[in-house]
Amino acid sequence: MNSIFNDPGFWHRLQFGFTIVYHYLFPQLTMGLALFIVYWKWRALRTGDEKYNQAVRFWAKIFGLNFAVGVVTGIPMEFQFGTNWADFSKYAGGVIGQTLAMEGMFAFFLESAFVGALIWGEKRLGPRGHFAAAIAVALGSWLSGYFILVTNSFMQHPVGYRIETNGSLGIASMSAYLLNPWAVVQFAHNQLAAVVTGSFVVAAIGAFYALRGLHRVQARLYLRAGTFVGLIASLLVAFPTGDQQAKIVGNHQPITLAAMEGKFEGESMAGVALIGQPNVATQRLDNPIEVPGALSFLAYGHFGSFVHGLNDFPKDQWPDNLELLYYSFHIMITLGTLFIVLMGFATLENWRGRLESSRLLLWVLMLAFPYPYIANTLGWMTAELGRQPWLIYGLFHTRDGYSKVVSNGDAIFTLIGFTGLYFVIGLLFLGLTGREIGKGPKEPAVATIISEPEREAVLV
Amino acid sequence: MIAIWYAVVSFMLIVYIVLDGRNFGAGMLQWFVAKTPEERRQVIAAIGPLWTWHEVWLLGFGGTLIAIFPRLMASAFAGYYLALFLILWCLILRGISLEVGGHINDRLWQAYWDFIFVFSNFLLAILFGAAAGNVARGVPVDGQGNFSMAFFTDFKVRGYVGLLDWYTVSIAILAVVMLAAHGATYLTLKTEGPVHDRCAKCGKYLWIAVVPLGLAVLVESRIVRPDLPGRALSNPFWWLGLVVTVVSTIALVSGLSGRRERRAFLASNFLIVGLLATGAAAIFPVMLNSTLAPENSLTAYAVASSPTTLLRASFWWPIGFALAVFYFVFISRRYAGKVSVRRDTQGFY
Repeated sequence: MNSIFNDPGFWHRLQFGFTIVYHYLFPQLTMGLALFIVYWKWRALRTGDEKYNQAVRFWAKIFGLNFAVGVVTGIPMEFQFGTNWADFSKYAGGVIGQTLAMEGMFAFFLESAFVGALIWGEKRLGPRGHFAAAIAVALGSWLSGYFILVTNSFMQHPVGYRIETNGSLGIASMSAYLLNPWAVVQFAHNQLAAVVTGSFVVAAIGAFYALRGLHRVQARLYLRAGTFVGLIASLLVAFPTGDQQAKIVGNHQPITLAAMEGKFEGESMAGVALIGQPNVATQRLDNPIEVPGALSFLAYGHFGSFVHGLNDFPKDQWPDNLELLYYSFHIMITLGTLFIVLMGFATLENWRGRLESSRLLLWVLMLAFPYPYIANTLGWMTAELGRQPWLIYGLFHTRDGYSKVVSNGDAIFTLIGFTGLYFVIGLLFLGLTGREIGKGPKEPAVATIISEPEREAVLV
Repeated sequence: MIAIWYAVVSFMLIVYIVLDGRNFGAGMLQWFVAKTPEERRQVIAAIGPLWTWHEVWLLGFGGTLIAIFPRLMASAFAGYYLALFLILWCLILRGISLEVGGHINDRLWQAYWDFIFVFSNFLLAILFGAAAGNVARGVPVDGQGNFSMAFFTDFKVRGYVGLLDWYTVSIAILAVVMLAAHGATYLTLKTEGPVHDRCAKCGKYLWIAVVPLGLAVLVESRIVRPDLPGRALSNPFWWLGLVVTVVSTIALVSGLSGRRERRAFLASNFLIVGLLATGAAAIFPVMLNSTLAPENSLTAYAVASSPTTLLRASFWWPIGFALAVFYFVFISRRYAGKVSVRRDTQGFY
């Protein structure tokens, strides 16, 4: 009988997919927040205004919680290359291991060495030292993003490698590998998407305090910064970075582009479907509403450019879950468009001085924060589902990559274990973050001015 | 080239074990050396701000292992599948218990997370000890360089062995006692008050207990791997490890008896480095010994990446390591000094 229970590849993919999606909920916020923290710390240095330091202290705590969960959920990611994807590691470890090791030594070491100083070291380090710690942490988190995206880009578009005598891959050119054009485009797109997540969360908490009438100065600060940065980042995620991302997919993975758009037949003047459902059985897009020529223009720069359809390629090279790929991509695009509209409107209202008095807008801003997480996840699903059936595009099939010695039962067992453990971590994370938000940014008088013995007296 | 990279990769793992070993040890002892809730928080504060810095060394090691010895990493990690996930889950629980305990000032809440904390650290020491035993003894590697093994089989050390047998269990016990001693020495240096006094006392007993256990493991290793001594004696790194072990043992004895806490803790670090280095040097070049047939064993030469790939890695690794040393100096200065039992000076934890 042929069911998914007999297909170990399915369980290894599901486990990696689940653990990476869960893990990435946390770094996407820390990468985005790191910029806000650096900015506010810089403003505090320049202006001496205590409200910026207050904001840094509050957000550093939120950052710390996310960082800790990011670390503990991140370690299984690296280990699963060996445990679940042993044959892939045997084949490509000499290449992808380089950036995984660099991520550890250049990024994680930096970030983890200074994160404690950022969260607890303000008094001991002084303002300048604290600012330096904030920069170190931000640099570390963005560097780790780059190294991981180089690793992923090698799987999407392998460059700089050579095939060794034993058939495995080795590095031919480190600079070609590290400066993979795919990685550069994807890094820009992905990091801006992380900034979108960060700015939505900052704006949401600002909106929450504003609706509650609490911490008014801080609420205004978060709302203004969150909506303005959110608008800029949402625009840049779409154009030029999202546009470039689609072009690079069109150039190097034309099958993927056809699948993302549900194009079964190739055509010039190819349209972009605003609405429509891909029907794999009948090989067409049901109920489409299309903008004619838009896909040809977006992917190749001319309305008349020919866009390949899925039927131009052998069926065994099609991504193996067309529907999920199509919907992931389209919902991501829809959300991204809504982000621009929402943050554009909020920025306009702020400019007219009505942001904090418009309760409806505050409600929307407060409740909007989960959607960037969803859009980020869908973007990654588009990238990874689109890469199928390849593990390394054009070189190595996904079905050849998993560990053959690991039994199906073991893989299912660990997947269930992760599900349970991550559920508990999620509850704890939400509960504790909720508490920190409830406590809110501390008033400056208590936090800094009172000396140590006095503070003890206050606490007693 | 491959020998140097073997030394580098072993060194990164050893650094991880030494750095996180103090947390395992201090964590295991938390219930026994800290009686009141305030004292237990004090132990957590002594390791709190640095545990992520220690744990990322495991990531540094893992990444370097994939890059340099991809086929070893693949065989070993897939073969140890369930054992490795146990380690990962314990690491997750340990990190979570450290972080969330201090967030809510409630006795039951903190007692619960302290229990998870002690339990996961204890299990981690056992698991890493058993893992070291498995590397020393070998695993049932087949002709294709693969293996998969049960948690235990017949507790014998040849043929189709399990994760646990009399040899690996005795190394696990040695690991628990030695890391507890290491942790006690660390807490003696890092704390003041009653926790300090209890750690100073139990640290001495734990180090004394290490001696017979260590000698027993030495004799057992001679029986399990009769091929090792000849190889070890001809390896200069083994002699280097031996010198480090001997010198740090002398320094440890002088530090413990003379109440020189800093010296004792430094010696404790170097003692563990020396012992692990002699072990790593003794098994070289076999990285994964086969208990089925010697010709199945995976040597460093057979599992390494190509020379050009190794050469590329030689360019960036020293830079990364130099930066790590720089962070290390920053951290040592930044977090120097004792942690008091007073809650408000402990920061977040």
